[in-house]
Amino acid sequence: MAVTAPTIDMVPARPSRAGTFDSTWLLWIAIIGVLLFLVVSPFVYLVLTSFQTEGTGAFTLSNYTTAYGRSRYVDALVNSLKLGAAAAALAGVFAVPLAWAVARTDMPGRGLTRILVLATFITPPYTGAVAWILLAGPNAGWLNRFYMLVTGAEAGPLNIYSFTGLVVVIALYSFPYIFIFTTAALELVSSEMEDAANILGAGPWRTMRRVTLPLALPAILGGLIICFLEAIALFGSPAMIAIPARFNVVTTQLFQFFGNPVRVEVAAAYAMPLLGVTILLILAQRLITRRKGFVALTGKGGERRPILLGRWRWAMFGYAMFVATLAVFLPYVFLVQAAFAKAWGRGFDLDNISLKNFNFVLFEHGTAAKSVINSFLYAGASATIAVFLTLGVAYIVTRRLVPFGGILGFLCVAPFVIPGVVLAIGFYAAYAPPPLALYGTALILILAFTTRFLPIGYVNASAAMRSLNPEMEEAVRVLGGSRLTALRRVVTPLLRRSLLGAWLLIFIPATRELSAAIFLYGPNTKVASVMIFDMSEEGNFEYLAALALILQVLTLPLLWLGQKALGRDFMLRRTAT
Amino acid sequence: MKMLARLAIVVGLALAPAVARADIKALTDAARKEGEITWYVAHYTSEGAEDLGRGFTEISGVKVNVVRTTAQVAYQRLLQDIKNNQTICDVFSSTDVGHYVRLKAQGRFEKYVPEAESKIVPAFRNVDPDGFYHATSAGLVLLTYNSSKVKAEDAPKNWTDLLDIKWKGKVSTGHPGFSGYVGTWVLTMKKLYGWSFFDKLEKNKPQIGRSINDTVTALNAGERQVAAGADGSTLFSAARGNPLAISYPADGSVLIIAPSAIMKGTKHPNAAKLFMEYLYSVEAAKINAKHFGIPLRPEVPAPPGAKPISEVKTVRPTVAEIDKGIPEVIEQWRDTFGN
Repeated sequence: MAVTAPTIDMVPARPSRAGTFDSTWLLWIAIIGVLLFLVVSPFVYLVLTSFQTEGTGAFTLSNYTTAYGRSRYVDALVNSLKLGAAAAALAGVFAVPLAWAVARTDMPGRGLTRILVLATFITPPYTGAVAWILLAGPNAGWLNRFYMLVTGAEAGPLNIYSFTGLVVVIALYSFPYIFIFTTAALELVSSEMEDAANILGAGPWRTMRRVTLPLALPAILGGLIICFLEAIALFGSPAMIAIPARFNVVTTQLFQFFGNPVRVEVAAAYAMPLLGVTILLILAQRLITRRKGFVALTGKGGERRPILLGRWRWAMFGYAMFVATLAVFLPYVFLVQAAFAKAWGRGFDLDNISLKNFNFVLFEHGTAAKSVINSFLYAGASATIAVFLTLGVAYIVTRRLVPFGGILGFLCVAPFVIPGVVLAIGFYAAYAPPPLALYGTALILILAFTTRFLPIGYVNASAAMRSLNPEMEEAVRVLGGSRLTALRRVVTPLLRRSLLGAWLLIFIPATRELSAAIFLYGPNTKVASVMIFDMSEEGNFEYLAALALILQVLTLPLLWLGQKALGRDFMLRRTAT
Repeated sequence: MKMLARLAIVVGLALAPAVARADIKALTDAARKEGEITWYVAHYTSEGAEDLGRGFTEISGVKVNVVRTTAQVAYQRLLQDIKNNQTICDVFSSTDVGHYVRLKAQGRFEKYVPEAESKIVPAFRNVDPDGFYHATSAGLVLLTYNSSKVKAEDAPKNWTDLLDIKWKGKVSTGHPGFSGYVGTWVLTMKKLYGWSFFDKLEKNKPQIGRSINDTVTALNAGERQVAAGADGSTLFSAARGNPLAISYPADGSVLIIAPSAIMKGTKHPNAAKLFMEYLYSVEAAKINAKHFGIPLRPEVPAPPGAKPISEVKTVRPTVAEIDKGIPEVIEQWRDTFGN
């Protein structure tokens, strides 16, 4: 990329060794340059802004006193932290047993469970939130109505408009992060280690507790941290649930700072403590994983046998289906009903069925169909850039190729803590005006999406790199190959599965990214999430559901392709043993 | 002499439209050369805005880039454009009149009085005596209800009926911090009944959404039964078969007049002017009515289910009151309702 040009100056001139100069260095410098461009520059702008007086740009601390000068604002911050912790914990309760059962046991319906978790993952959180409002609204929620019908009670027990309601909805649609991280890690744990535990007298539960789960702990923690950060950065679900529930979180509070009058400076100051929280979390995760430094994935590939659960296998299956019912079956029943309904308020009548909504969204609406195409194009470009960039960074960091490489790793994770709205403002301010003049272009969305999802790519790439024994690359180096050769011929093929997984993990949320897109889209670059959010504000739930379903259906073939690729890879490794 | 005068009037009458037509013709030609305009719009629904954009393209051959967001987002975006010295927006259509007061004071608008302003319903003419911005959309905040749960005779008839204990846990509203419509409604209620109106409303535990259109969702779901809603989105949803109905409050529906203005430094001045003319045309009024907006032209009948605006008792704060009052009521609202 042209933008890396200025950083070339940083290459130390070494004319005497020009002949043996390792061209790999150029690639590293390019990666560092891109990272500076994507993360540092918008971020620096944000930090500077937080100390600036509006209009004049003079130094001030008053933004911080304004941002934390009212108990209402501080409460919102506390609410977000509680929300993040509760949602991550609940997501862990959903995800870890499922991941273990799918990856390591003979539970029936493992493939089905995996598909259902992926169906959860591709459900935009705001769509899930709308469905849950229909399910657990205090008066009209279908679950409450059913409860009243069965028990004859005056009121139902559920109220979505509560802190607990928001926690459940966020956990339901973010637990796949933990699930995917944990299954990937558990699948790498060879049965030999569990066999060793068994031989030494440990039963299956003890083995799971003392051997299997600790081996997967870094992945579980990585997933929990992503969930936490996802929960505090979400805007859609809190806007739909927390506002009627009469409490604020950081993102809804930030929205207020962006309201009238616009106080970007205060918003920037208000976002800063979240950064501190992320730093602490990342440090904690690193501390835990470092203390237990181990290499679980070797080039040899141990045998992996499922653990026999006996009669518990059906109990486990029941739990999996319970989670799937909450996250997929119930919400989709109402999504489909609304998408095919003339009027969703009329319920499940036969004469209420129509294809009109699909027709409108696909053919009559000026921008809806194009917005879906835009979403897929931008998400694909972002995912590709992010995967290769984070692989490069993870490689630099884990192999300690540059001093202070840890900072690069931190930069990759930092964007997650910046709520999309704020990140978008940083991007806008840094790159919309000349000389780059990216305002209203597809590129600014692609770059923002790339930055926003770097953490997913990085957590994935770095976990994969850490589990990769350097011996294999060292072999290449000993045989005279360059680092680039090692990266291309050894690391990438070995991590192909992780990379494809990471690509999908970025692509899918990028197709539904809302909070950054809503500020950066231009006349010709509207994306599907923005379209859906517009429709949700207008109460056009029929159109919303139809468009959301189209988005889901279009994502399915990609998932299928991905699963097929992942599955084949897996089979090859098994037969090679 | 008399004859001559009569002739002059006849000639004048015959020529006047011809002159206007010629101007519009020249404007159309110049606009067509400019090719496109970008329209930041918070009026209407997405579909309504897209439809209006398409309608303009059909008539004039000028492409419209419709950037449809909520009022505050559109304003935010515009402020950032200005900060970056970029003129992307040609025509700015927000629902918050306060935006226009501030932008006009900063000299951000190009003055243009549409030819067709004299042909719209008088109530909507001359919002800005200096001619920088013009009312191009209008809507009402009124009482709405779920017609399958509430019979028409039981539906609230006055705003104060919402305070009746029988609606406890059954009222829905939007949020003034998000919606310009709701902000104007809150301001009007405060003006009519004092802030105690909302202290009493809080006792009925209303469900508070964001946009005024959130009330449509809450009523459709049966989650709430009565609301302070908007005429357009409620009637639009009712026409799709949802169990919704509106009730014109006897103490006055809150009339929201949303303006449009041409931005100073626009790269498409002729297309922007032609677009302002178009927004006052019968064609645009028809499209607006199709989407259940109030037609600005008297020739176009009110949408199905709505009374003609001339028969509705309306109340409306002044532009100055809105500019000063909305930020205040947002703070009061948050103190009373918690967020």
